[in-house]
Amino acid sequence: MTAASEPAREWSNEQLHSDDLPKKDIIKFLQDNGSDSFLAEYKLLGNVKNVAKTAKKEQLATAYNKLFETKRFKGSDSVETVTKDVKDVKINDGKPKETKLEETVDEGPPKYTKNILKKGDKTNFPKKGDTVHCWYMGTLEDGTVFDSNIQTSAKKKKAAKPLSFKVGVGKVIRGWDEALLTMSKGEKAKLEIEPEWAYGRKGLPDAKIPPNAKLFFEVELVDID
Amino acid sequence: MAAADLQSLTEKFQNLSEDDFKEEDTNVFLVTCQKCLEEEEVALLLEIIRDEKNQAIIKHMGWNLIGPITKCILRSSNNGNNKICLEMIHHLCTLCNPKEILLGLLEQIDEATGEQISQVVLLLLQPLQAVLLKLGKRKAYSVGLSLSTIQSRISCLPVPFTKEQIQEDKHGLCQCCCAIVQFIKPFVDVVAQSKALQTEPETAELKKELLAFCFSCLKYPLLSAQLNLFPEDSDDHPFRCFAREILGTLVSLGEPLAVAFLQHGKTTPNLEIEDVRPEEGNCTAESFACLSYLIFVQHIGLNDFPFVFGPTFLVKTNMQHVDVLLKRTEESILSKGLELLENSLLRVEHESLHQDFLEIRAVLHVVQDLVKVMTLCPIEHPRKRSLALLQLLIDKFGEEGKYKLFRCLFKSSSHAGVQGYIIQNIKNQIDIALKTNSNSKCFLGPRLTPLLHMVLSLPEGAETDLLQFSDRIMASLNLLRYLIIRQDDETDNKTGVWTELSRIENDYLKPLHLGLNMSKAHYEAEVKSTIEKKKGSHAKKAICSVTVGENKLPDMTPEMQLQVLQSALFTFDLMESVLARVEELIEVKLKSASEEKIGSC
Repeated sequence: MTAASEPAREWSNEQLHSDDLPKKDIIKFLQDNGSDSFLAEYKLLGNVKNVAKTAKKEQLATAYNKLFETKRFKGSDSVETVTKDVKDVKINDGKPKETKLEETVDEGPPKYTKNILKKGDKTNFPKKGDTVHCWYMGTLEDGTVFDSNIQTSAKKKKAAKPLSFKVGVGKVIRGWDEALLTMSKGEKAKLEIEPEWAYGRKGLPDAKIPPNAKLFFEVELVDID
Repeated sequence: MAAADLQSLTEKFQNLSEDDFKEEDTNVFLVTCQKCLEEEEVALLLEIIRDEKNQAIIKHMGWNLIGPITKCILRSSNNGNNKICLEMIHHLCTLCNPKEILLGLLEQIDEATGEQISQVVLLLLQPLQAVLLKLGKRKAYSVGLSLSTIQSRISCLPVPFTKEQIQEDKHGLCQCCCAIVQFIKPFVDVVAQSKALQTEPETAELKKELLAFCFSCLKYPLLSAQLNLFPEDSDDHPFRCFAREILGTLVSLGEPLAVAFLQHGKTTPNLEIEDVRPEEGNCTAESFACLSYLIFVQHIGLNDFPFVFGPTFLVKTNMQHVDVLLKRTEESILSKGLELLENSLLRVEHESLHQDFLEIRAVLHVVQDLVKVMTLCPIEHPRKRSLALLQLLIDKFGEEGKYKLFRCLFKSSSHAGVQGYIIQNIKNQIDIALKTNSNSKCFLGPRLTPLLHMVLSLPEGAETDLLQFSDRIMASLNLLRYLIIRQDDETDNKTGVWTELSRIENDYLKPLHLGLNMSKAHYEAEVKSTIEKKKGSHAKKAICSVTVGENKLPDMTPEMQLQVLQSALFTFDLMESVLARVEELIEVKLKSASEEKIGSC
């Protein structure tokens, strides 16, 4: 190791913590100048973008300072230690990564989309197990209304009540359960639910919902208990 | 005679004011009126009631006449006179204190028995309605009292079952149902038109009474009513119409039809709903079950049912309803339970139910109910149907669920037929697992082993009653034979049968051999002694009688006894031959396997 190969300190502590300095710049500097074992230890290996996602600014600042303290600059590792370290990292990192992957594979992207028609109060969101009260109208892709609790005739209007149920506990189709949890009191939204999160392959012959039907709902969340 | 007396009496009362009426005088008046009615002098009596001059006395004691007039109508077959009598009641209703008339009317309904129940109800519902409407705002209690009186009387009537019985309507129940719907309409309208029940306690009270009545109608007569008749024209079906009206009434009253689904498992019940439902417990459980049946199986009121519930949730809640229905033994109710179960199961896809589903008490109950129906029900149709539904239920579970269900069913049912059926199912699952080459976690490998030992066993070793358990034993021998044939290669021991073979031989095949030898010896001895007896022909008296399908069987003749014994021996022979075949197969396999080993050495 010669002093000549030692890079110059580009940023002061203050600069490191300020918002003006993007995380990516620090990571790039560290990857350019740190030894592989050092980078592995501070989990800085890999695509700059991905590292930026997982690492906090503070961690980066500490790593930056440590790099200069320990002087583990590029080329300071022997080949042996590098490979060993990398292996260790792989083994250590492997497990949590795998489980994370599995979870995301299970969930997949939500099988519904929501368009807000009227904003809610944005403070009262239902929690799992809360009883929600809502007005709704459900239609098929061709516009057929297959269900609604909004009564149009004046006589029935008085008797009509919003539908009340416990949300998030599997009582209603998945699309409703998930969408309602993202709505706040007073919100009115249009939901577009994929068959997988509605009545699936079976459909609901009782209600003239054909197999593999995409459902559209206008839902208004009026109250939460 | 009585007519003249009555006329002179009324003249006397016309000159008196209400304060001057004496009890003995009014009694005489009443008795004379009764006599008039007995002599069918109805026109005169109507004239007296109508006469403005007699208003004082009629107002004073008119309600006492309700009873005698009603009896007069029931007695007579003269239509003209009956019309006049009804007119009298109508006038009394407008003239007298409605509370008194109400009591008079309810007393008549309450006293009616037998054939007269429907006659009285049909006769008096209309005046009763008129009187209740006169009560003004504070009528909830009286409406409730009237409805419960009517309900308690009509529920004595048998519910007609066949199409012919419904058309004949011998006991008038169908007519009563129609009339009741008309009867409650104005009261339902009061509730439906109310803007805010919270500020109108009297209307809220009325709603509560009407709801209670609707729920009691779901229990009787609708729970027992046969609704599947007249498929060609369901509008003609009086009970279907009644069901439609009652469900419509629930909706008009503001009661969501989903109530049967949202009530369950609530820790903090909706206060409002709690408040309006007076009777909890058995009655409502049955009413809810009937409601669910009407909605899902009969599609009555389906338009008012929300279609946002998840199919699995509906199956889960319906299981509680099915359980309630299958607990009953009446065919009409039992078949409703089976229909609702089928309807619910068809909502979900095969293999889609999670094993946790079996943790729900109602689901386990339904499984047991089905077994009970298929083994104990005296009627063939529900027996067959419940077996088919058990298979459907099995099919809806995933592998883990099936595994759990088989174990639970096998252990909880002591019926050899059911056990044999489960063994057959296990065999099918193993077959599917081997054919699809799947790495089944349940029906191949180590987890299959306990299942195999469970079914390849004799409950009481060699002493087990082989005849009683023959279905189970035959099925298990078939399974074993299948496993040995199917597993051509001993090294490919996917089912684990080869590793377990010595245990199976010791625990099952050997005791079975011994048992078969003992049973055969015993029955052969019996055959001999029966033949001897037959020769001796001194017939012993039977110690008990047997009834099958409500027919008492005649005592068995020695010939019959011989036939029975011989058929038992035949069963043992069959068992023995399958057992021999299994043992032979094992021997061949083991031999060829050891030869292979020697060859490879």
